[in-house]
Amino acid sequence: MIEAKEINFAYRRGIPVLNDINCKIEDGEFVALIGHNGSGKTTLSRMFMALDHPRSGQILVDGEDIINYEPADLADKVGYVFQNPDLQILADTVYEEIAYGPRVKKLPEENIKTNVKSAIAAMGLKGLEGIYPRNLSFGQKRRLGVAAALALNPRILILDEITNGQDAVEQAAMMEYLKALNEEKGTTVILITHDMNVVRKYARRAIVLTDGHLVFDGKPQELFQGDQPVERWGLRRPVVSVLASRLGLSAANCEEFCEAVRKGGEA
Amino acid sequence: MNSVVSVSDFYFKYLRSELVLKNINLEIEKGSFTVIIGPSGAGKTTLCKAMTGIVPYYSGGDYAGDVKVLGETTKGKKVSDLAMKVGLMLEDYESQLVSLTAGEEVAFSLLNHGFPPEEAEERTRLALEDVGLPGRESYQLDELSGGQRQRLALASLLAVHPEIIVLDEPVSAMDPDGGESLYKLLDKIHKEHGTTFIVVEHRVEFVLPYLTNLVAIKNGEVAVQGKCEEVVSRIYEDAELRPLLPELWQVKCSLEKKTGRTFKLWRSADEAAKELQSEGFGKGVRA
Repeated sequence: MIEAKEINFAYRRGIPVLNDINCKIEDGEFVALIGHNGSGKTTLSRMFMALDHPRSGQILVDGEDIINYEPADLADKVGYVFQNPDLQILADTVYEEIAYGPRVKKLPEENIKTNVKSAIAAMGLKGLEGIYPRNLSFGQKRRLGVAAALALNPRILILDEITNGQDAVEQAAMMEYLKALNEEKGTTVILITHDMNVVRKYARRAIVLTDGHLVFDGKPQELFQGDQPVERWGLRRPVVSVLASRLGLSAANCEEFCEAVRKGGEA
Repeated sequence: MNSVVSVSDFYFKYLRSELVLKNINLEIEKGSFTVIIGPSGAGKTTLCKAMTGIVPYYSGGDYAGDVKVLGETTKGKKVSDLAMKVGLMLEDYESQLVSLTAGEEVAFSLLNHGFPPEEAEERTRLALEDVGLPGRESYQLDELSGGQRQRLALASLLAVHPEIIVLDEPVSAMDPDGGESLYKLLDKIHKEHGTTFIVVEHRVEFVLPYLTNLVAIKNGEVAVQGKCEEVVSRIYEDAELRPLLPELWQVKCSLEKKTGRTFKLWRSADEAAKELQSEGFGKGVRA
């Protein structure tokens, strides 16, 4: 469980980045953290990993103030994948990169092998084990970042814009994996994203930040229904949602929409 | 066709990677707004780097064939000289940022190319305005968000006034407002200066109103290339490439198959809704 209590934050220039943020994310939730660039999403999520600290307010992880955690203990609970994968790549090969965390934790070599293997399979990096990470494509580097976090089996996984640079097929594979992880192992997933199709399809809760203020906290369906000022918050409804409502149809995806149009057209 | 970039029988393989480009034959039409799509790892970024001389200049590997930019081969050319004709923004744009402040960053290549300081300063000011970062000259890079740093990298290109601009996933870190306004800006430059744009893009929906040509790359080869009107349905027919089309065009192609009708190449959801309504599709609108 992660809780933000009355969080305020400003960088050096003193312009407020987060204003009185309150939210509580329970174990097993699948939360999308969304908002325009500079809205404070990354800053807030970094606090959940003690990478930044609030000027005032408190972050609680499992009821305990985050400042009381040793980094290693926090890393046992929370995994964080950076928006820029280059910031977290340290090792000379894909395999060693993923094994880095488990090695620091001094896991037995057997366990390290198993964890790395399953993380590699999960992120579609098979066959790339011996490659120098800087030679990977950007999308592959992102998946490497996620794999490295997965290898530590965190209970809470924070992912900052990991779907960027992924093609549609890879993105779907990655999201399906996270969905299974969330549903089967109960891993809490906190996903920062600009992709509203991903939000609609996978998240069960959406938290919207605008200029450092929390303006929406609820179900994605409610967010896209039409009575929320989504555009004013710098977001967009998915194309199919827009088309369907313009034509007075109900459809959640391309297939349903085309079927509804075909039927509507014949009526 | 008047090409600004022409790639012929191009082959490239990195030394420490399996990634390969093979049999690439590609013409980029002068003044076009060309979008390159393809699965990750298909070689799109490598192709961008080849068109700007970075491959093979900085990345060693096996190389065959030829890449011509504005009629001249890139072989033996210095990347910094090519950069005055063809600007490149990498997807990994952070790796392009080399300075402490935003102003220094934009002025960097200008000063290196011997522009007088006053002109570099003026171009820096205008370029920062163009990308929506007016007056941020003194900002340190870590005071800018990811999306803002990306626009800064773009400003550094614009300041040089190149004839061709190559962008590798320019809106990947941007929110919808940012993505839309960036492409609006690129469209403005495209129209005003006749700059040829070559953009690798997974989020084609942002560039829908503007793109003129499409290139689809698969397994290191060019699968389809041509004007959008001519190639969209061919891309849709390829199961591997279909999901890379913007959702709106997937809806169009799917509807055409289901209804046997032909629709315009919609450039926005609004245009699509209007045509579908006028054709009598949807509830309660059929006369």
